[in-house]
Amino acid sequence: MSGLSRQIEALGAVLLAVIWISPLVFAFWAAFHSTSDAVNFNLLSPWTLDNFRTAWDGAPWLRYFLNTFLLVTVILIGQFIVTTLAGFAFAQVQFPGRDFIFILVLMQLFILPEVLIVENYAMVSRLGLFDSILGVGMPYMASAFGIFLMRQAFKGVPIELHEAARVEGCGWFGILWRVYVPLARPTYLAYALVSVSTHWNNFLWPLIVTNSPDTRPLTVGLSIFGAPENGVDISVISAATMMSVAPLLMAFLIFQRQFVQAFLRAGIK
Amino acid sequence: MSSDTPFVHADGVAKRWNGQLGVENVNLTIPRGSFVALLGPSGCGKSTTLRLLSGLELPDEGSITIDGRDVTAAAPSDRNLSMVFQSYALFPHLSVAENVIFGLKVRKVGAAERREKLDRALEITGLTGYEARKPGELSGGQRQRVALARAIVANQPLCLMDEPLSNLDAKLRASVRKDIKKLQVELGITVVYVTHDQTEAMSMADMVVLMKDGHIQQTGTPEELYYKPANTFVAEFVGAPPMALIESKALPGFESATHIGLRAENIQVATSGKGRLACKVSECEFLGSETFIGLTHPAASGLTVSLPGLKTIPAGEDMEISFSDSDLHFFDDAGKRLATPAG
Repeated sequence: MSGLSRQIEALGAVLLAVIWISPLVFAFWAAFHSTSDAVNFNLLSPWTLDNFRTAWDGAPWLRYFLNTFLLVTVILIGQFIVTTLAGFAFAQVQFPGRDFIFILVLMQLFILPEVLIVENYAMVSRLGLFDSILGVGMPYMASAFGIFLMRQAFKGVPIELHEAARVEGCGWFGILWRVYVPLARPTYLAYALVSVSTHWNNFLWPLIVTNSPDTRPLTVGLSIFGAPENGVDISVISAATMMSVAPLLMAFLIFQRQFVQAFLRAGIK
Repeated sequence: MSSDTPFVHADGVAKRWNGQLGVENVNLTIPRGSFVALLGPSGCGKSTTLRLLSGLELPDEGSITIDGRDVTAAAPSDRNLSMVFQSYALFPHLSVAENVIFGLKVRKVGAAERREKLDRALEITGLTGYEARKPGELSGGQRQRVALARAIVANQPLCLMDEPLSNLDAKLRASVRKDIKKLQVELGITVVYVTHDQTEAMSMADMVVLMKDGHIQQTGTPEELYYKPANTFVAEFVGAPPMALIESKALPGFESATHIGLRAENIQVATSGKGRLACKVSECEFLGSETFIGLTHPAASGLTVSLPGLKTIPAGEDMEISFSDSDLHFFDDAGKRLATPAG
């Protein structure tokens, strides 16, 4: 009985995994074959790199990579600064209305970012950040999720360490920098992973707020590259997609163990 | 400065938590270079008192002076003191060396001086060779020594210790106790030491402050606490076994006192019919060199007699005891010690 249900479970897991990975596998396969071979599932057809050459010449990919890289970096730095300071304030500083304000911050989690797109657009324009990388990143810097995560991590730091640092002469900032931040390192790592992968893949907001190849991230560049007006060539689009996801995918495969451990440790705390 | 001005002085200090009692009317005068133990049962306010001295808590009333300077509202770092926490509060992400020099780094002490002070502190605490270890790789006793090294590295004249030995096993505790005492004498620092263990307090301290329910019950040398307990609480807290209290009506001739205190070592077993109190044996506690015989008497609590060697007396057996009047302690109906023997 238990053996059978175990086998069904395993079968289900494998099935899910196959469904999950099949688009990626197909894109990978299509990227290395000519369009007709890819569409006809001609398994014995020869492998080719032509699609990558065509795709590479079709758009300023290097610029897009740079933009995306800058974007996720700017967002991550902004998030680290804001969530660290806010998380510390909510965890360890006594001030009137703290819990109420914290609930307000948490309410942000209930609101889909897409709902705020028009308002954010207006705000970014007013700030004069339209069509800039900072403008793309800004709405995400005060991340409620990040603040919550940091608050929890900082709350887990034993109060004696805080007090010992105070006795040894640290001010607020010194305590934060020398005690809390180093102790929350696993949380930072886990959060960085979530943030980078989210914003690497983010599409709708950058599409709206960017207007030129100089600021456009990979996702937007890819969609323009693959837009029907340019003629649909499934193999070339697959090649371009492979190029876009490759850095993140490779980073994940290489650091898989660390990522998972970071998440586990952040969770245990 | 003359040596008889108190080094640490607390005057009428009180701290209340939302109306709940923290400590009330704490008056302390601690001479320079002394070892003071704050002793009491858990929740008595001894840790609060220490935290008030450290500046981690600020008093609601009263004033605190350290080294002639009013520090009542000063930050902990401005009080020239170091602290050893019960949990040691070692920074888990820093090595032993970095933990010890943490405060020096914060205070921007130069690298050469840091190195020198670190080496000295590690040598004193016997930690040389462990510089690169992380606290997680050390045993409990070693962690405790790292905490000590961090406390002495900056040569602060005052060191506050909050139950530093409570996480160690009994054997280690006895040896570290000696080490701490030796260290304090050698460095000439003033130590305020919080403990709930009277053996620690009595064996290490020059002065013991016994607290209960946020109030100081008695301040004095260990001998004073033992031989002249100020009230029945002190009498019953200090000493192992604690002092027995006998209602005065059970002993004719001492009616002016309410309770009469008597220590185990002053009780002799008397032959039947010759004793001053007739008791029943309730238990025997064998300790090796002696056996404590617990006795029950309707008008007394905590009566114990100490007999040399191994004694086994069945519970319920009658035993008569005698004692001399000069060994008796007298307390009034409020529990306070009566200066002159009643009679």
